[in-house]
Amino acid sequence: MGKKVLIVDDDTDIITFASSVIENSGYTPISALNGEEAMNKIREEKPDAIILDVLMPKESGIKMYRKVKTDPELSDIPVIILSGIAQRTFTRSQKALTEFEGQDIPEPDAYLEKPVEPEELEKTLKKFLS
Amino acid sequence: MSKLKLLLIDDEEGIRKVLSLSLKRDGYQVLTAEDGGKGIELFRKNLPIIVLTDIKMPGMDGIEVLKRVKEIDPDTQVIVITGHGDMESAIKSLQLGASDFITKPVGDQVLAVALNRAKERLETKRLLREYTNNLENMVKDATEEVKRRYEFESKLIQQSIDGIIATDKEGNVLIFNAAAERIFGYTEDEVKTRKKVHHLFPEGIGQKTTGILSGESRSADDIFVLEDTSVEGKNGEVIPIRFSGAILYETDKPIGSVGFFQDLREIKRLQKELIQSERLAAVGQTVAGLAHGIKNILNGLKGGVYIVNTAMKKSPDSFAGAGVKEGGNGSKLRTGWDMVERNINRVSGLVLDLLSYSKEREPEYEKYDPNIIVDEVCNLMESKAKENDVKLIRDLDKEIGEVYLEPKGIHSCLLNLVSNAIDACIFDPDTEKDWQVKVRTHSDRKGGVIYDVVDNGCGMDQEVKDRIFTEFFSTKGNRGTGLGLLVSQKIIHEHKGILDVESELGRGTRFSIRLAKQEFPEKK
Repeated sequence: MGKKVLIVDDDTDIITFASSVIENSGYTPISALNGEEAMNKIREEKPDAIILDVLMPKESGIKMYRKVKTDPELSDIPVIILSGIAQRTFTRSQKALTEFEGQDIPEPDAYLEKPVEPEELEKTLKKFLS
Repeated sequence: MSKLKLLLIDDEEGIRKVLSLSLKRDGYQVLTAEDGGKGIELFRKNLPIIVLTDIKMPGMDGIEVLKRVKEIDPDTQVIVITGHGDMESAIKSLQLGASDFITKPVGDQVLAVALNRAKERLETKRLLREYTNNLENMVKDATEEVKRRYEFESKLIQQSIDGIIATDKEGNVLIFNAAAERIFGYTEDEVKTRKKVHHLFPEGIGQKTTGILSGESRSADDIFVLEDTSVEGKNGEVIPIRFSGAILYETDKPIGSVGFFQDLREIKRLQKELIQSERLAAVGQTVAGLAHGIKNILNGLKGGVYIVNTAMKKSPDSFAGAGVKEGGNGSKLRTGWDMVERNINRVSGLVLDLLSYSKEREPEYEKYDPNIIVDEVCNLMESKAKENDVKLIRDLDKEIGEVYLEPKGIHSCLLNLVSNAIDACIFDPDTEKDWQVKVRTHSDRKGGVIYDVVDNGCGMDQEVKDRIFTEFFSTKGNRGTGLGLLVSQKIIHEHKGILDVESELGRGTRFSIRLAKQEFPEKK
C-alpha cells in the first residue's frame, strides 16, 4: 500500500468515515482515539499526513498539534485539522499558548470544519500527498 | 420743577402788566394776549394749563375763549375775570366749565386762592387719570393672565400624550383631546355629537360614572384606576389602555367626569417583540452550546452516506441483487436510500444555517480581490443554472483592486443570493422569458464594493418583500430553510455593510451587497 495517513478522533464514526475516504483516495489509514495514542502511532508508523480532531479526551488536538510541530523529526508532516471548532477559536487558543510558552507555532497546513464533504477531504489529502 | 405755564388774556394793557408782574413773582411762566383771537392762537401753540381771561373784550369775548379752550383741551383750568356784579356772566362761564371766577378789580389774594384751587383741581385730575390708567392696566394684565392660563391649560390637554375625555353631568363629551382621537379613531366632533361617557370609558366604569353623575351627592367610590384594561375603537378593535378617571364635584354635587387613557398598544407590541427576541436569543445560546456536538453528528451522517455510496458503487449487484430477483425491492432500496441522503443534506443545510445565524462574531477580514469570490460562486452555480435554462452572466469591474472583507462570509452570501436568483427564474411561470442572472461588481465613490445580483425571474410582491428577512420565512416550500437571507444579512451586517433589495412581481429582483471601505481591518 501507498502512503500512510493517521486519523486522530475520539468519534469512531468519524474514524470509519475518514478511513474510507483515505482508502478510496489510495492511501493507508491508521487511527488513534486520543492524543496520547496518536503520539505513539506517529513515532511507530511515521505517517505521511495527519488528520487531527481538536476536542478529544486525555490530550487535546491543540496540545498534540504543538507537540508535532515542535518536534524537529515530526514537524514536516502535514497536519490537517478536522474539527467542529471554528478555525478562529483554534488559532486563538494556539496564540494564547504561544504567549504562555514563548514558542511560535505555524498555522495548520489545512483546516477543515465539520461536517466535511468527502470530496473536500480527498482533495486536501491529495494536495499534500501527491 | 419747571414753571407752570399760564395764559393771561385782557384787552387792558394796564391789567396785563400788573397781573403778569405779580404772577411772575409767584413763580408762573406768563404768556399774554390782548384779545380772544390772539389768546386762542397762543393757547394752541403753548398749551398752558391755566388760562386767565377777561370776559368783556372787543372781538372774541371771554365766554367764547372759554368754549374754544375747553374744546381744544378740556383739562385746562380756565379762570374768568368778570366785571363787578356781573353774576350772569360768572354763572354762564361756570356752566361752560370754567373752574373759577374772580371779579375786578383783581386783588392779589383772591387771584392766589383761585390759582391754588385750579392747581389742586389739576392735581386731582392727574391722580384720577393715573388711577384710571392703573386700573385699566391691571384689568388688562389680569385678562391676559387668564387668557394665558386658559391657553396653557387647553394646550396641556390637547398636547397630552394621554387621551383625555371630560364630560358634563349628563355624560356629554366636553373635551376629547388629540390623543383620545388617536386612541379611539373618532374625531372630536363625532364624539361630541354621538357619544356619551358610557360609550367611551372602559366597561363597567362608564356605567358607574353615569350612575354617580345622575345623583346629587358625593360618592365614596369616585376615583377609578385600571392598570391594564381596554376600550373599543371606532372599528370595533380592542385597544389596550391604562385608565384613570374621576368624578368632578362642585361643593359635593357631581358636575362631570374626566378620564385619562394611556395607550398601551406600543408597549404591548414591544413586550411581544422582546419576548420573541429573548426566545430567539435563548435558542441561539442553546444552539451555539450544542454546535460542536451537532457538527460531529452531521459529519457522522455524511460519513455514513459516503460509505454506503462507496459500497454501492463498488458492488452494485450484491447490494441490489436480492431486490432485483424478488421483483422491484432493489429499486425501492435505491429510492429509499436517495431519500435518506437528500434529507441528511437538508437537515445539514438547515442546522448549519441555524448555527451560523445564532453565532455572534466579527468577520475575519483579509485583503482580497472581490471578483475572485464572484468567479468561485459562478463556477459552483454554473451547472444548476444550465440545468434550468438560466443564463449566468458575470459583469466584473476589473479596476476594483483588493479590499478588506471576509472571503468565506461574502462567498456564502453571494452563493445564497445567486442560488435564490436562479430559484426565482425556476419559479417564474412566464416560460417565454430568456432567464438570466447577472452578478456585477463595482466600486462606490468612497472606495467601497458593491455586488449586484440581478435576475429577471418571478419577482416578489410587497408582502413577500416585507417578510424575506424574518425568521423561517420561505417561498420555496420544504426546499428552503427560511434562514438563507437572514444568514446573509447577518454576515453583511457584521461587515457593517448593507443588503438591499428591489423587486417587482413578474419582472425580477435585484439584491445589492454594499460594503463600505474598511480602513482599519480588525487584527487577527
